[in-house]
Amino acid sequence: MFKRVFYTMTMVAMAAPAFAADASVGTGMIALAAGLAIAIAAAFGALGQGRAAATALEGIARNPAASGKLTTPMIIGLALIESLVIYALVIAFIILGKI
Amino acid sequence: MEEITRQWLWVIDLWGHEFTLNARTLVMTWIVVGVILFFVFLATRKASLVPHTAQNIAEMMLEAFKGLTDESIGERSQSYFPLIMTTFIFVLISNWLGMVPFLSEPTRDINTVFPLGLIGFVVAHATSIKVKGFKRYIKGYFEPFFIMFPLNVIGELAKVISISFRLYGNIMGGAIIIIVVSELVHNWLLPPFLQFFFGFFVGTIQALVFAMLTLTYISLAIHE
Repeated sequence: MFKRVFYTMTMVAMAAPAFAADASVGTGMIALAAGLAIAIAAAFGALGQGRAAATALEGIARNPAASGKLTTPMIIGLALIESLVIYALVIAFIILGKI
Repeated sequence: MEEITRQWLWVIDLWGHEFTLNARTLVMTWIVVGVILFFVFLATRKASLVPHTAQNIAEMMLEAFKGLTDESIGERSQSYFPLIMTTFIFVLISNWLGMVPFLSEPTRDINTVFPLGLIGFVVAHATSIKVKGFKRYIKGYFEPFFIMFPLNVIGELAKVISISFRLYGNIMGGAIIIIVVSELVHNWLLPPFLQFFFGFFVGTIQALVFAMLTLTYISLAIHE
């Protein structure tokens, strides 16, 4: 599967200069880079957040009385995981500034 | 679609320098301040032992946040409780303002959110210096080794970026999604629910996260 993904990506990269008649393809690649940056970061950030939320819910299911005590640390933990995605958002903004 | 990029600017010419004010954000911030003042006036007017509606809501919020600050800061919580509470109420009403037609959130602008994050940052570091003393505060940057100094400095600065861009990104992204999806469905049926979801649900959670993170940074500065 990875081979196919790699092949497709090289195809995209090779195909780009083929019709690079003007500068618009370059700007297109920059826009693609910004989109990919935030997309990959969001995907894996969501995976991590899902794990955190699932574990917290498991804890609450075992001991419903602890839900009040679990919620605040969970939200802080989610926020800390999310901050990495936000760095990716900042980087996407920086990349977009180059267009 | 042009709502996304439309700007309303006041350009002031002072001694040959041009200052640009983001008029929309300014006006919306004034509205938020007005709403908060009105609510507090309602809550404190004729305050009685058996609370009336507004007083009840205010007391509920205050007690919940008092418990949170007491839990995480400890004996010094009295001096930081007003800051956390004010931040929370301001961000909350700001996020909710987007649900009102013709108004927009002041937190949609990075220029509102970044100073709010900066306030928490400055307070946390001032607290750290006050509690530990200047020498131990500086020494904290060289933990665990001497080489880690640049990483620690970047880590501290990244806190401001992450806390402010989290709120800005959530609110701005929500606003853009509302505009785009409303355009897609020709303003039919869906927009009010989107407004409610992004304004009420996401807005409340993000306001809570913002206040909690400011609180966490301060308590980290005290306890570490």
